[in-house]
Amino acid sequence: MVMEQRLLADAQFLLLGSQRHPRLLSSPHAALQPLLPLITSPGASLPTLSSLLKTLTLQLQCTTTTHLPRIVLSLLSALSDHHPDLRREISLAVRAFALRLLPFSPSSSFAHSLAILFKDADTSSDVTDEPTFLSICFRPCKASLRRWLLQNVDKFCVRPSVLIAVLLGFTKDPYPLTRKAALDGLVWLSDKFVAVEDQSLLQCCYFSAAELLFDAEDSVRCSAVRTVSEWGLLLVESNQDKCKIDWSDALFVQLCSMVRDMSMKVRTEAFDALAKVPMVSQNVLLLTLTKKATSATKEITFPGRYAAKIYKLPASAAAFAFIHGLEDEFFEVRRSACCALRTFAIAYGDFACEAVNLLMDMLNDDSVVVRLLALETMHHMAMYDCLKVQEGHLHMLLGALVDDSTLIRSAAMKILQLIRLHKLAMFKLCFEGLVRNLELYPQDEADLLSVLLNIGQNHGWFVAHLIQENTEKIEPSLGGRLGFESARIVALLVLAISAPVSIERGICSIPPRMYSYAVTLLGRISDGLIGTLNQNDLLSHLSRCSRFSCVSSSEFFRGEESAVPLVKSDTSLYPKNDGIHGSCSQRLLELERVVHPIANYPLKIHDEMESSMGNILQKIHSLWPLIRCGFADEATRTLRSWKKQLKTFTCDSSEPTAELVFVLQYLRTIKLLGRVWIRCMFPLKPCFGVRKLEVLFRKLERSLKEMKYRFLGFSSEQELHILELILVTLILKLSNVKACCPSTNLKEISSVVTRVEHLVGGRSVELSSFVIELQKILREIGPSTAVLENALLLQKSLEYYTLRQFMFSGILVHVAAKLDVYNNYENPLHYVLGLPAGIPIEITLRNISRESRIWLKMTFKEKLAQFVYLDLHGLSGGDECRKFTFVAPFFGPPKARSFLLKISIGMECSSEPPYRSNVCGGPKHELINISGDSEVFLTRVGG
Amino acid sequence: MAIECLVLGAGQEVGKSCVVVTINGKRIMFDCGMHMGYLDDRRYPDFSLIPRNAAEDFTSSLSCIIITHFHLDHIGALPYFTEVCGYKGPIYMTYPTKALAPLMLEDYRKVMVDRRGEEEQFSSKDIVECMKRVTAVDLKQTVQVDKDLQIRAYYAGHVLGAAMFYAKVGDAAMVYTGDYNMTADRHLGAAQIDRLHLDLVITESTYATTLRESKYVREREFLKAVHNCVACGGKVLIPSFALGRAQELCMLLDDYWERMNLKIPIYFSAGLTIQANVYYKTLINWTSQKVKDSYATRNPFNFRNVCKFERSLINAPGPCVLFATPGMISGGFSLEVFKQWAPDEVNLVTLPGYCVAGTVGHRLMSAKTPTQVNIDQNTQIDVRCQIHQLSFSPHTDAKGIMDLIKFLSPKHVILVHGEKPKMESLKGKIESDFDMQCHVPANNETVSIPSTHYVKADASSAFLKSTWSPNFKFVTERSRGNLITDDMDMISKPVLRVRDDRVAEGILTTGKHQNPKIVHLKELVHTSGLETHDVQFALCFPVRITKMDEQQQLNPVSQESLPFLHQLFLKLSNNFSEATIQESDQNLQIESFIVSVCSKEKCPHRMNDGPDSTYEAVHFCCTWSGADEKLARNVISFMKNLVLNKC
Repeated sequence: MVMEQRLLADAQFLLLGSQRHPRLLSSPHAALQPLLPLITSPGASLPTLSSLLKTLTLQLQCTTTTHLPRIVLSLLSALSDHHPDLRREISLAVRAFALRLLPFSPSSSFAHSLAILFKDADTSSDVTDEPTFLSICFRPCKASLRRWLLQNVDKFCVRPSVLIAVLLGFTKDPYPLTRKAALDGLVWLSDKFVAVEDQSLLQCCYFSAAELLFDAEDSVRCSAVRTVSEWGLLLVESNQDKCKIDWSDALFVQLCSMVRDMSMKVRTEAFDALAKVPMVSQNVLLLTLTKKATSATKEITFPGRYAAKIYKLPASAAAFAFIHGLEDEFFEVRRSACCALRTFAIAYGDFACEAVNLLMDMLNDDSVVVRLLALETMHHMAMYDCLKVQEGHLHMLLGALVDDSTLIRSAAMKILQLIRLHKLAMFKLCFEGLVRNLELYPQDEADLLSVLLNIGQNHGWFVAHLIQENTEKIEPSLGGRLGFESARIVALLVLAISAPVSIERGICSIPPRMYSYAVTLLGRISDGLIGTLNQNDLLSHLSRCSRFSCVSSSEFFRGEESAVPLVKSDTSLYPKNDGIHGSCSQRLLELERVVHPIANYPLKIHDEMESSMGNILQKIHSLWPLIRCGFADEATRTLRSWKKQLKTFTCDSSEPTAELVFVLQYLRTIKLLGRVWIRCMFPLKPCFGVRKLEVLFRKLERSLKEMKYRFLGFSSEQELHILELILVTLILKLSNVKACCPSTNLKEISSVVTRVEHLVGGRSVELSSFVIELQKILREIGPSTAVLENALLLQKSLEYYTLRQFMFSGILVHVAAKLDVYNNYENPLHYVLGLPAGIPIEITLRNISRESRIWLKMTFKEKLAQFVYLDLHGLSGGDECRKFTFVAPFFGPPKARSFLLKISIGMECSSEPPYRSNVCGGPKHELINISGDSEVFLTRVGG
Repeated sequence: MAIECLVLGAGQEVGKSCVVVTINGKRIMFDCGMHMGYLDDRRYPDFSLIPRNAAEDFTSSLSCIIITHFHLDHIGALPYFTEVCGYKGPIYMTYPTKALAPLMLEDYRKVMVDRRGEEEQFSSKDIVECMKRVTAVDLKQTVQVDKDLQIRAYYAGHVLGAAMFYAKVGDAAMVYTGDYNMTADRHLGAAQIDRLHLDLVITESTYATTLRESKYVREREFLKAVHNCVACGGKVLIPSFALGRAQELCMLLDDYWERMNLKIPIYFSAGLTIQANVYYKTLINWTSQKVKDSYATRNPFNFRNVCKFERSLINAPGPCVLFATPGMISGGFSLEVFKQWAPDEVNLVTLPGYCVAGTVGHRLMSAKTPTQVNIDQNTQIDVRCQIHQLSFSPHTDAKGIMDLIKFLSPKHVILVHGEKPKMESLKGKIESDFDMQCHVPANNETVSIPSTHYVKADASSAFLKSTWSPNFKFVTERSRGNLITDDMDMISKPVLRVRDDRVAEGILTTGKHQNPKIVHLKELVHTSGLETHDVQFALCFPVRITKMDEQQQLNPVSQESLPFLHQLFLKLSNNFSEATIQESDQNLQIESFIVSVCSKEKCPHRMNDGPDSTYEAVHFCCTWSGADEKLARNVISFMKNLVLNKC
């Protein structure tokens, strides 16, 4: 405290004396420096600080030009930093000082005081307005001050249109740092100033920046690259159609021309900028991976700068750009290049194929970081399904599997899990690589087994093949010992058990005893599957597979041989009553008691299925945020894996339960909705055909309708859930599919909303915020016809939509029909030309009420559809199951000697709007296919 | 002022690099190499051609010698020139070059004298004496050779210590590249230079037309070949030069061995290579960024998998990899091992990208295995082993050369160190792509190019003051250079450009016995004591008028007849809507353009080639100042096509 007082008194003595103290005049800095600790010390008392502030303020009022103000200002600045409550007062004093300085030639004191003023966001100051800014800019002043000014353009209130002209002018400044500051200012402005309509102004900015790409100063070039990128993007944005692509190409090539700059920073910046280019012609893009200009690109030139004095940019300037980046000496450049490459590889298929070659070669790089980068890039590409691995590549990829570094190995494994192998030879190579890895790095075992399991699931038939070839190696040797210590055997067994998960019916192509053998490895395998399957589930799965197949294999094979082409002779594969097998089953039972004494054996498959369905339904809504944020692929992957998991239950029971069918349908719907959502809400994602989007919509709508009509027994919550999904689809469609009729669509939306209201009416069910918002918007729209605006308005409601958890309650009933026609290519039905053909069909209907309108649909060559109404009233049997034989007439068969007819059963959705032009005698409303298609072969009799 | 380039070696060929450049009176010799293909006089550059006065020796005629790197075709003739020809002036090279050059020279001398029994051109002592004269320079260090001459070294890649040299005398500046590489390899970085204002770049052009693949491809191929061979139990022979390639390949293998957990031994045979490794280890600063980065944890030149080699190991069983000199299997240890290993088909021999004719390497390059190679008259070897051709090279390719030239943007380019036809093709490309003059001189030819010369001028205070504040102008230009081509509809409107005119407003004035001075535009009249003159243009010409009846036919509605001047005003207002037209009784005025009806029969400005005299016409007299030239032309051409109503 005493110290404090002394310091203050000292300062006051120095500053406020009647005459300037000589010490202050000779070295003001040294004289006033001791005050700094006083200011920064947290314990300084407020009165001291206030009186210090007063002293300093007084000082400011009576000086203008000497260098004293600089010290005073820096003390004030420190004071303002450390004591925000004094900021207001400081601002006022400094502002007064700045205003006094204004008429003079701008000095660093002025800049200093402005810097202090900027700290206080509240001061709407008349020293930071446009006239001040301009007057300082254009008056003669030090280059450093002008640079400071340009670096702080964001702090001044200057109209963008004025600022752009000022900044453009300063790009011609003789001082490099001023040029750089002007360019940085332009970058900042590009963000704020999106609505530039004036093409020539945009071009002016773009070309002015492009000119500075050849500046002698590295830092200027660096900023120029950024500016070219930002304004280039605006320029691309402001153009239409063909011009848009041309400008985008021009920007791309212009940036490519900078990747050989001698400054590492410029190169990095160039690749960072390249990653932002929205689109580029394929031939220009492909050029970046080769040194030779193709004939298609040789003659193409773009407006831009090729060299300091050459104003025409040949497309060949892009040649080899990516390779230069990827083999750059500096890690920073390689990283940026990799990221840019990744963006384009995902968007352009042909480019991806070429890029893979390069990335595979990079796996020989000496730096772990670069190898990892290459692998990550490939993994990223694989996630987007654009990694096409050729046989020649595998050598490198498998090399990475035995790499010294754990990171590299695990990255390589991640990729292997995702890729599709087209040939058995590749599959075998992969397998060998994984086995080698397992032998060399036992510590990787858990991950590796999980990879094997995944690969196996993706390549079912190859697995079957491989297992067949290696059965003997797995079999216990003569002494009855199983050689399970060998890495190869372990790997084979894991592959074997992965198979049935993916091939529903080929389950028997893997000898069932493999599952029994695998049980001995239960602990090791389940370590690799942490997170996907627990030990109990795995055990039950294994035991089920081993038991199921051996009991019913002979039965299963009857009539199924054609479906399982890989099984050549079942006798060799399935020794019926051999000793080893028997002993194995025995061992399995014993093992089970040891490993899992409380396992409820035999396990109830049904329970397992229910628990896994429950699990999925519990988790599925957590995928929605992923989809919302644009990560549809991740979501799709998860959905797919769940689907796979559920599909295992469909293959063993003859008739899947309604719940299972529903959950599968639900998964499919969410998957489709996710894809549609991404395409509509993130239109910037790589080119996606409009047609394709329409197809997706059609699939989604079909799927939703099937959910709505083919299941009975929904609770109102459940129905609400489905109706909301329908609403989301309709809204998305309204704003994104041009082909749909907006007014019908709007009507549909209102009718669904009415249905929702009806459902909720009088019940305790709460409306979701999405529906509430939608109601609001619908009311707002009223009967207006401005469809486009309405679509945008409606799309707003989607912000409120979230996928809720689907709750199962009560019992679901699945509406289905089955068609049996005893007929195939070799035993066709006969008909006489000129007479209608009679087709005897055995029909089984499940859960269809008498009131439903059921139609038999017969289609010839996709165009001629004939409908036959099935009257259910005269039939016996309950709604649960009706079975009858029906002879369907097919009128006017074609003149061909024989032909193929597709038949199916459809149910009319009476609540859908009726067809506008009712085909005579056909269904009035849309049909939902409830049976799947069957084929009937017909042959003419008599010449 | 001009820069004179006398090419004494490596003109349209590879070998004995030597260029003598005279800039503003200063003479610099870049490189002093020897040709390995000749044993007679042709092996050295013809030093007698260096221009000098009769009494002068080389020392006074040359300002300095600059050596770019230690390869013999760049330094081989240096001891001869200094010790035999008697040059005693300064010599500059980088530190690593100074360290490694004596090794190379001594090695060469030994081969020449001891093995081939030739006459000694220079002795070991000469080498030592020569090296004493050398001044070592660091990268980017500016060396003031004398009052006017500055030189600076830039990193060139290529080999350890290789540099490009920048030389500046007065205002003229140039770069001599020596050999360089534009992409980094395992052990050396890529060439690195600043953007300089240059009159001339003399660049090597070894691969003037070759485009090389990515380095990853060649690394993959090499590693695959070696790995496959050792995996099958074969032995790999890598004949290589002691410095450079051996280190790169060894780093590649050492790293691969580590990654793949291979335990097969790698051997280094020659003493020189091991000695060279020592230099590499100490000169880390001259290697690539990657090596520098990893140096903190481990020196990458401490090869982990390299074992000590003994002669007995040649025939030891099991796979191995052996580095042996010389590179082209022209003799020595690599030939010895080759004889032993070549007959076994599991073994592998790698060949460098370039082998001199006559060596075993050269014969193998074109041969298909199995084959037979005659070593000498008595020895013939069955070659059954696999052969792998390396495509590693420390020279930049055609694209690299183009990239460097584009980056440096000099006014002139001279190509050396290459093959003539390929250089011609590159020359064409440089001239067409960059609009730059390029020369391909042969040996002993001189190229003279103009150089920059700046004049010092005083500046008036008004001009200086005007340069303190910016002076922007925005102009629209239809096209600039060849910006717009026919197939480009991207730029449809005129391009807006910005200029800063603060310097453009200065005017350079010179007088007799006076220093040149720059004054501001506005003070020019005042300072030079001149009067202001304004150029005024005038033209009097007829405009057609219609007769009454004709007029009715043409324009039946308008019966009214107005004064000619007012009619003109209306028509001009319609067509030049953006201009402000002032109308008074006597005349119309647009900017400085004034038009009035001329009634004088003998107007001095009258032009008679107007409309036919068969038509009636009224004459208009126009005046305008030079500044509105364009506007005036537009208005007049518009008026000439007018038809006015008779009043």
